[in-house]
Amino acid sequence: MSVSSSIASRSGAQERMTARERRTRFWQMVQLVPIMAILVLLFGGALVLAILQSLGFAPWFGVNTFPDFSYFGALWGSSTFWVSLGLTLYYATVSTVIALILGILLALALVKTFPSKTFYKYLYKLPLMIPYTVGIALAVLMLSNGGMLSRLAAFFGLIDDPAQFPQILKTHYGWGIIAVYVWKQTPFITLAVYAVLLGIGRETEEAAAILGANRRTIFFRVTLPQILPGVVSSTLICFAFNVGAFEAPFILGGGFPDTLPVVAWRYFNDADYTLQLQGMATVVSIGLVAGVILFGYLAAYRRYERRMGRN
Amino acid sequence: MTKVQLNAVRKQFGGFVAIENIDLEIASGELVALLGPSGCGKTTTLRMIAGLERPSGGAILFDDQDVSEQPVQDRNVGMVFQRYALFPHMTVEKNVAFGLSVRGTPRAEIADRLEEMLDVVQLGQFRHRFPAQLSGGQMQRVAIARTLITKPSVLMMDEPLANLDTKLRGEMRRFIRDLQQRFGITTIFVTHDQVEAMELADRVAVIFDGHLAQYDAPDRLYRQPANLDVADFMGATNIVPAAMKADDLAETGVGAIRVAPRPGFGAGENVQVMLRSEAIDLMITQPTQGGVPGKVVARDFFGASVNYTVDCGAHRITVTEQARRLVEVDTPVWLDIDPDRVWLLAS
Repeated sequence: MSVSSSIASRSGAQERMTARERRTRFWQMVQLVPIMAILVLLFGGALVLAILQSLGFAPWFGVNTFPDFSYFGALWGSSTFWVSLGLTLYYATVSTVIALILGILLALALVKTFPSKTFYKYLYKLPLMIPYTVGIALAVLMLSNGGMLSRLAAFFGLIDDPAQFPQILKTHYGWGIIAVYVWKQTPFITLAVYAVLLGIGRETEEAAAILGANRRTIFFRVTLPQILPGVVSSTLICFAFNVGAFEAPFILGGGFPDTLPVVAWRYFNDADYTLQLQGMATVVSIGLVAGVILFGYLAAYRRYERRMGRN
Repeated sequence: MTKVQLNAVRKQFGGFVAIENIDLEIASGELVALLGPSGCGKTTTLRMIAGLERPSGGAILFDDQDVSEQPVQDRNVGMVFQRYALFPHMTVEKNVAFGLSVRGTPRAEIADRLEEMLDVVQLGQFRHRFPAQLSGGQMQRVAIARTLITKPSVLMMDEPLANLDTKLRGEMRRFIRDLQQRFGITTIFVTHDQVEAMELADRVAVIFDGHLAQYDAPDRLYRQPANLDVADFMGATNIVPAAMKADDLAETGVGAIRVAPRPGFGAGENVQVMLRSEAIDLMITQPTQGGVPGKVVARDFFGASVNYTVDCGAHRITVTEQARRLVEVDTPVWLDIDPDRVWLLAS
């Protein structure tokens, strides 16, 4: 075989490879179509529509001033928006942090051996199966001024009348909202961290103990860095949910100024349809704030991961 | 250098007894292997010595001091785990320096000892790497360095070579032995590999079902096992039942075999005779005295050595010899057995 014919056959083989690769790539794209359709049409479409409306595009309401930033201007120019944003972030952050601390403690307890462990492993997951609205109802039943705790306090003579019980619900401290979020999300974080703990095993902790580390050092220098993937993923989901959640702040919150999702709901529920655009600006603002915070959180975590040699 | 003693140590998990009254004495600077099949309790014993498990009964003594109730952090022991248990988020040097940093050792001293230890395990060039970027042998050396840098009074190793390939395993055996002799540190290691135990250890403790079956030097364990289980675990292939005709003569299914007399095994006793395959000479012509006749029925060639299966009538006997010659299958042969290399076991 001559040199030129050998080169020709090799380049033919390369072309055939490229064609095969092209077919493989096409088939991969086809396989991605269902999930991409959901993401692009449902999520992406809704997002684009929300942004368009928030910028004054809503011909179906007889409004089309696109591009109009006045809705954002009106919203961000109002001092109550910033209070609402502060309350939204406060409830979301405090409940996520409390749930995280409780979740880690519970997960650390669950990896140990103790009597009736199987029972407790089922018990802690119970709130995951109960809807948020039931949790809210339980909070009202337990924590309100006519609730179980106030009646028990009156029964034991701690207060003269249930009405004297300190106000837990419907204040801007948001103890009721935080209680419901923590009740529901602690098992979720426990589940995520427990799974990671089972994966890493106990050997590194034991190695650290043998090397002379006390419990505190073992947790902060050995365990925590290893469970970070579970911590980050679970808190990310909880925080994102808490920022956008509506029912708990609506029912258990302290009223005006409300959290941003409640503000948006009030705009959407107004008899004046054109206020829906203001509502959309609120929703987009929530998305922007949550997006920036979560992106920053993930970026910081990624940087840490890279520093730890995980690429 | 620390002497370790286990006095009637017992460990129970719920209703399951993992270790039953084990007595063990490990001399200062000695290297002892805990040998046994999976689940026999050897790792539990090691963990009790380390302080990771509390004994249900008995006492563990370091230099005659009872440490049974002492927390693991205060025992000053070192442990190398089977899967290394390196901290995956720390570099090699941070892993190695961890023990010193948590003990509050001054930074300058940590730096000096770190350099020294990285030099010992020859990992200086990998100091900034993470465990995931190392090979199995390198991870093993990091684990050893991380332990040795704290100057433990007792070094423990839980199946330290189990995750390494055959070639690396041989290298690491020599490395561990050299290191142990260099530091003169009392070392206890767990293994289920009898070859590894015999090559590394000064003495071997064989454990079956939570009981100490035999604690002896490797050669005695191999040649003079305490019972059938130990003989079987140590790879004895030729164990045949016999009746003692005299103190030095056993009647077996392959004929009468001269044996070295052993107290407690007199005439009339039913015994088991253990013939180590490498202690039998395979003769093409009948030896001048005795010899068990047979025929080669199989030959397994291993390069340096060769195994012959010889049909001697009632039993098949395995003979191992260096592969300086090859005897063909179906060749009539005689087995010449040195009485001093025959070991009697209770039936």
